[in-house]
Amino acid sequence: MNLDSARQAFAAEVAELLQSMEDALLALEQDPADPEALNAVFRAMHTIKGTAGVFGYEPIVAFTHAVEGLMEQVRAGEIKLTAELIAALLECRDHTDRLVSACLAADSPEAELAPDLVGAGAGLLARLAQGRPSSASSPPVQSKHLPIGRDLWMISLRFTCDAFRHGIDPLSFLRYLASLGELVHVTVRLDPEAGCTPGFDPETCYLQFGIGFRGDVDKPRLASVFEFADQDCEIRILEPDSAHAKYLELLDTLPAEQVGCIGELLVRIGALTQAELERALAIQSAEGGQRRIGEILVDQGSIKPAVVEQAARVQAAARNRVQEEARFIRVDAQRLGHLIDLIGELVTSSAAIRVMAKRAGIEALDEVVDGVDYLVSEIRDQALQLRMVPIGDTFSRFKRVVRDAAQELGKQIELVINGAETELDKTVVEKMVDPLTHLIRNAIDHGIEPPHVRIAQGKPSQGTIALTAYHDSGHIVIEIADDGAGLNTAKIRAKAEALGLVRPDETLAREEILNLIFVPGLSTKEQATNLSGRGVGMDVVKRNIEALRGTIELASEPGQGTRFTIALPLTLAIIDGFMVGAGDGQYVIPLAQVVECVELQPEQGSGRHGHYVNLRGEVMPFIRLIELFGPGRSLSSQRRESLVVVRFGHHKIALVVDALYGELQAVIKPLGKVFEQLKGIAGATILGTGEIALILDVAELAAIATEQPLMTRGVGAAV
Amino acid sequence: MGELIAVQRSGVHLDLNAEVGQYLTFIVASERLAVPIEVVKEIIELPAITRVPMTPEAIRGVINLRGSVVPVIDLGARLVRRPIAPTRRSCIVLVEVQAGEDGQVLGMLVDEVKNILEIEREDIKPPPSFGATIRTDFIAAMGRVDEIFVIILDVDQLLSIQELAALRALSAEPVAARVEDGAA
Repeated sequence: MNLDSARQAFAAEVAELLQSMEDALLALEQDPADPEALNAVFRAMHTIKGTAGVFGYEPIVAFTHAVEGLMEQVRAGEIKLTAELIAALLECRDHTDRLVSACLAADSPEAELAPDLVGAGAGLLARLAQGRPSSASSPPVQSKHLPIGRDLWMISLRFTCDAFRHGIDPLSFLRYLASLGELVHVTVRLDPEAGCTPGFDPETCYLQFGIGFRGDVDKPRLASVFEFADQDCEIRILEPDSAHAKYLELLDTLPAEQVGCIGELLVRIGALTQAELERALAIQSAEGGQRRIGEILVDQGSIKPAVVEQAARVQAAARNRVQEEARFIRVDAQRLGHLIDLIGELVTSSAAIRVMAKRAGIEALDEVVDGVDYLVSEIRDQALQLRMVPIGDTFSRFKRVVRDAAQELGKQIELVINGAETELDKTVVEKMVDPLTHLIRNAIDHGIEPPHVRIAQGKPSQGTIALTAYHDSGHIVIEIADDGAGLNTAKIRAKAEALGLVRPDETLAREEILNLIFVPGLSTKEQATNLSGRGVGMDVVKRNIEALRGTIELASEPGQGTRFTIALPLTLAIIDGFMVGAGDGQYVIPLAQVVECVELQPEQGSGRHGHYVNLRGEVMPFIRLIELFGPGRSLSSQRRESLVVVRFGHHKIALVVDALYGELQAVIKPLGKVFEQLKGIAGATILGTGEIALILDVAELAAIATEQPLMTRGVGAAV
Repeated sequence: MGELIAVQRSGVHLDLNAEVGQYLTFIVASERLAVPIEVVKEIIELPAITRVPMTPEAIRGVINLRGSVVPVIDLGARLVRRPIAPTRRSCIVLVEVQAGEDGQVLGMLVDEVKNILEIEREDIKPPPSFGATIRTDFIAAMGRVDEIFVIILDVDQLLSIQELAALRALSAEPVAARVEDGAA
C-alpha cells in the first residue's frame, strides 16, 4: 500500500473515531456513567494512539496516551466525570483533530509542530490533571500494596485421596508459592468426603487448602506452580479484583483479528489457563454441548462471571466488526463519480439505440432495446444508490454546534433530530453542511431566547431546535424549526426600507416581508455576533440551496418560533423525467413533480379569463410555456394543447404545452456559468437523437410567473 | 472548415518566435476579425443549436459537443447587435475562456472562417479610440496585413462569463441599453 493512501485511511479513521468520541462525550453530558460512551471515548483515544504510533507521529501518541490514561481512571471510577472534565475532553478531541492534521500536513513524522499547538496540548493536559485525585497519594493502579481482600488471588486446592500415594507433598507447593509472593492467609480443611475408604487412613490425603495470595504474578504463572500436581489435585485459581479490571481492559483493547472463540480469548488475556479451558471443554463435550463454555467456566470457579460476560461482548463486537468489514468496502468518491458519469453516457447511448431501432422499424430489435433499457435504468438506480448516505451523520455533528453555542450564549437548547436515516446523495449532503450550520446558528443566536425571557413568557426555560428530514415526491425535505421568538417583521421591514428595498408606502404580505431576509445585506440583529455573523448569510444560504436545485421556504410566528423548510432533489446526476414540447423546443420536467396530464379545452386556455383553469373544481393557475419562453413564435391556436399539472412543495401549478412525449431518463448536464443567473431552467440533457432538451425548474418558473402576472411575451428572468 | 484545412496544407507551421503571432481570421457582418490561435480549440460545422429561453440574443443557445453541453455566443448579436443568419459557410469556433477557477468552453458563431495569418509584432497597432464598428473594449489590437487592418478581438472581454451571465433577455431594457451605449 502506498503511504499516501495509508495516511488518507488514517485521516478517515481518525475522523470517524473523533466523531464517535464527540457523540459519546455529548451522551456523557446527559449520563456521566454511561459505560458504552465511556468505552467509546477510551477506544477512540486508544485506537488513534495505536495507529499514530505505526506512523511514528509521536506528538499524537503522547497526547492521546495522556487522555487515554485519564479515561482509564474514569472507567475505573477513580475520577468523577464532571461537566468541566467533559468540556476539557471535548477540547482534547478538537486538539487531537488539529494534531492529526498538523502531523499529516508535515513532511516527515519528526517535523517540529507549531509551538502554539504544543502549548495548547500542554494546557489541556494540565486541565485534565486537575480532575485527578490529589496526586500526593500515588494512584491506586500503581500501588504495590493493595488493600486486603480485594486484591488477593484466591487459590483453592483439593487434593485427591491418592495424592500422597503418588508422591505429592502439598506443603512443597505452598512453600514454592510463598517464594513468589506473600501467603496472606492459608486455611486448611479436612474433607472427610474425600476419603475413598471408610475410616481414617494415614496414607490417604484428606487435605484441602484455601489460600489467599498476594503477588505480582499472572494466572498462567500461578497455574504453573501446581502443574506438577495437576493429576492429583483439583485446582481453582480466582483472580483478584485488580486483575479482573485488567482483564476487562485487555478484552476491550484486543485487536479484532485476535478474537477467536471465547475460551481462547480468555486464555490469551491470561484470565484462564489452558488446563482449565481443556477441563471445561471436556465437561462440555461430556454433557453433549448443552451448556456454553462460559457457564461451565464460571461453575468451575475458574473465572468470574463479569469477565466472561465482557469476553462475550467483545467477541460479539468483533464478530460484528468482521461482518461489517465484509459488508462494506471503502471506495474513492471520485471513482464512484466516474462510474456515475459513465452510466450517464450509457443512458444517453441506450436512448440513441432506441431512436435507431425505431427508425429501422425492426420489431425484434425493439424487444432487445426494451431489455437493455430496463437494465440500464436498474444499473442507474443502483449506482446512484451507492452515493446515498443517511443524513444523520451530518445532523449529529450539529449537536456539538448547538452545545457549544448555547453554552457560550448562556442559553439552554436541546437539539432534536428526526429522520436521521433519510438517505441523500453524498455530494448534496456535503454541500448542505454550511447552509444548515448557518441556519442552526441563526436559530441559536437570534431564535431561542435566554432562559429568563422564556420563563417570563411562560415557555420552558430550555429551547428546542428540531432538525427533521423526510422524503417527499422525489425530493428530500429538511426542516429546521425552533421554538424561539420568531422573526420580527417590523424590524425586517424597517431595515429593508432603510436599505431602499421597500418603499414605506408599499403594502407587503407577512410572507413577503419574511422572505426579505434572503435579500443580500439584511440582518435583523442590530449588533452582529460572532456566531451568525453580519447578515451576509441568508442570501448565501439561499444561493447555495438553489445551486443544488433546491428551494427554501420559511414560516415564522411571533413568540412561537421559526421554521425553515428546504427541499432538495435526491440526486444531482440523473433523473426520471417527463418530456414535453412547446414551440420548437423540447423540455424535461422531473417526473417526480408531475401529478397528471390533461387535455386543455381551447376555450379554457384562451387567457381571456386569466391564467387559470377549473380542474375538477380546483383553481389551477397555469403557465403557457411558449408565452413565457417566446419571443418571436406565433401562438398557434390551431394546435391541441395539454396541461401538465406539477407539484413543488405545497404548491401545484399547471404548464400548458404543445406536445407530450413521455417519460425518459435524463442525465443532467450543467448549462455552465454563462447561464448561472438564468431562472426556470435547471440544466440540460442530451436526447437519444443527439438533440438537447432543457430541464425545467418548476418552482422557479412559478416564481417568474408570480412576479410577472401578465405574462407578456419574452418575460425577462428577473433578479 | 475546408478552408482551414487548406490553409494547414499550404504549409503554415507554428512559429514560436514571439515576433510573429498566428491568428485565426473569420468574418462576422462583413468585418474581418481575428483571434490568437492559442485560444482556439476547435472549429466545427454548424450543428443544431438549441435555443435557451429567456436569454439575450447574443446567447444563441447550446450545442451537444460529443456529450457535453456547450453554450454558443452569436458574435453578430454580440458585436453589432445583428444576429447571424446561418448559411452553409457558418461555423462555430470553440474557444476556452477563464471562468473563475476553471475554464469553460464556449462556441462563437461566425459567418465564415477564413484562414490563419501570421502577423509580425511591428504590424500590431493599438485600437483606435473611436471609429470602429464594434465596442472598443472588445478590440485588443489592430493587425496590419497587406495594408488592410484586421480587428484582433479581446476574447476575455468579448466572452466574459460574468458579463454574459449578467445579460438579460430583450425585455430587461436597462442592461441591453447599456450594451448599446458601449457600442460607440
